[in-house]
Amino acid sequence: MKIKAVTWLVIPTLVMLLALVLYPTIYLWYMAFNSYHPARDPHPIFVGLKNFGILIRDSEASYAILTMLALVGITIPAQLVLGSLLAMLFTAKNTRGKLGLRVLLLLPMMIPAVIIGLNWKMIFFSKGPLNAFLSLLGVSPQPWLSEPFGDPYLTLFSIAILDIWQWTPFITIAVISGIESAPKEVYEAASLDGASEIQILWHLILPMIKGIIVIILLLRIIDSLKIFDIIYMLTFGGPGNITTTFPFQIYKTGFTLTSAHPDIGYASLLSLVLLAISTCIAMIIMKLFHIEKLIWE
Amino acid sequence: MQKMTVVLTLISWTILAIYLTPFIWMIGTSFKPIGEWGGPHLLPQNPTLRNYEELATGGIYGVRGHFPPITRYLINSIITASVVALLTTLFGSMTAYAIQRYRVGGSTFASWILSLRMIPPVAILLPLVLMTRFLGIYNTLTGLIFVYPVIALPITTWFMIGSFKSIPREADEAALLDGCTELQAFYRIVLPQSITGLATAATFAFLFCWCEFLIPLLLAPSESTMPLTVFAAYFSNQYGILWGPLSAAAIVIAIPVILIAIIIQKYIVRGLTLGFIR
Repeated sequence: MKIKAVTWLVIPTLVMLLALVLYPTIYLWYMAFNSYHPARDPHPIFVGLKNFGILIRDSEASYAILTMLALVGITIPAQLVLGSLLAMLFTAKNTRGKLGLRVLLLLPMMIPAVIIGLNWKMIFFSKGPLNAFLSLLGVSPQPWLSEPFGDPYLTLFSIAILDIWQWTPFITIAVISGIESAPKEVYEAASLDGASEIQILWHLILPMIKGIIVIILLLRIIDSLKIFDIIYMLTFGGPGNITTTFPFQIYKTGFTLTSAHPDIGYASLLSLVLLAISTCIAMIIMKLFHIEKLIWE
Repeated sequence: MQKMTVVLTLISWTILAIYLTPFIWMIGTSFKPIGEWGGPHLLPQNPTLRNYEELATGGIYGVRGHFPPITRYLINSIITASVVALLTTLFGSMTAYAIQRYRVGGSTFASWILSLRMIPPVAILLPLVLMTRFLGIYNTLTGLIFVYPVIALPITTWFMIGSFKSIPREADEAALLDGCTELQAFYRIVLPQSITGLATAATFAFLFCWCEFLIPLLLAPSESTMPLTVFAAYFSNQYGILWGPLSAAAIVIAIPVILIAIIIQKYIVRGLTLGFIR
């Protein structure tokens, strides 16, 4: 069979992605059955299923997965509620300066996460602005990042606050575009019939943007699997491993010397677990949203 | 009605101002002299440009740390992000055309590329670090340019699929009837019609590379190759944090992002939701 000329167009992308994704995945599978510590071993040592055994008994890894789920569980509902409220306020008929509001609101999620992390390290600082503000209200200063001694779970809560702050605009902007893509006639007909703005929102717009809310939810879950920069800057997974989410656990295991198992073999297995989780969610997204339609119809 | 407008507008902008207080704090701190760094004031009492000057020339703060001039890191970031943006927009648009117009690879290939956008980079970085070491490009800008497409290429490809979809097929089909080959129809008819799409895709790719922290942290951590994001982490060490210069550096990093946000605000939702929401 003769290869069509257009097929050649995908070759550069295909080659790059095979090298950057497929090869690493195969390598991870290979390494998952080996023990390898570059500073100690000249080459990987085959250990069979030993890494899988470690994984099952690894309380740190399961704790990291739980932390990740807890963060998602706290932040996403809060973001959905706050984000939708903001969207309604920002699209209300009588609000002026809509474009300015929207562009400025985008900043928390567009500015590099490292900067956000450093910025909030300043905000959360024990003698920093947040505590200064709270003391005005008569609330005693809180050790947000547990410096020096505080409730370690407060730190996880601080990370959640930051994540809610950073990603609520995402929900807002997406809901706004949902509201605006709804046909104008519907609003006009409804408001002629004497429906209040709240009624219109509840009975007309909410059902229309339901699909959008589902996709946002899934995308947020996918994104929260990537939270790394914030934790690196703010807490480095500490105190102890309270704020070590699963991606950060992989980093600690594979890339630093502070972990209990500084082993590339084991880190590879952890990477595979993360890959499996994210691939599952990605597949759900693509099943739900018929990408065939999205591309070709 | 008039009253309603005033009230709603006032509420919206007040909420926004409160929402962005952390940034205002950062801007304020970038103009604060060293004595005010940890202080409780939002705006500097004795504003100074010293932090920015030191950022340009390098600074030494005794045991609290030192930092080299920012110029080199600015250049590193600009070079890597621009090269990757151009490269991935070119390759991405070629792939998008083949997928959108000719179903090359079918839906399997398309979904595979989309799923790559969703993979956390940390999951595949371990082999990539070893691979760049093996290829001798570890700790070089080339290494970064080699690896960044793993985040940028799925973005540009997906964005361009959306752009090509919105260009009517009739135009390139007419060209095919006139005797053009599929490739000629691509670069003579379809590409010139999607200049905005190409520019936006490149901007997105640039933005994602500009903001990337984890990949350069692991692939190019040395003082000569790190980009701005890794450089920013420099100001924080076990002895303390150099809040002033750090805030100034943060502003330098944020300015292009703010400009880009203004330019492409129409396309941001589409870009960030992988085209699921327009």
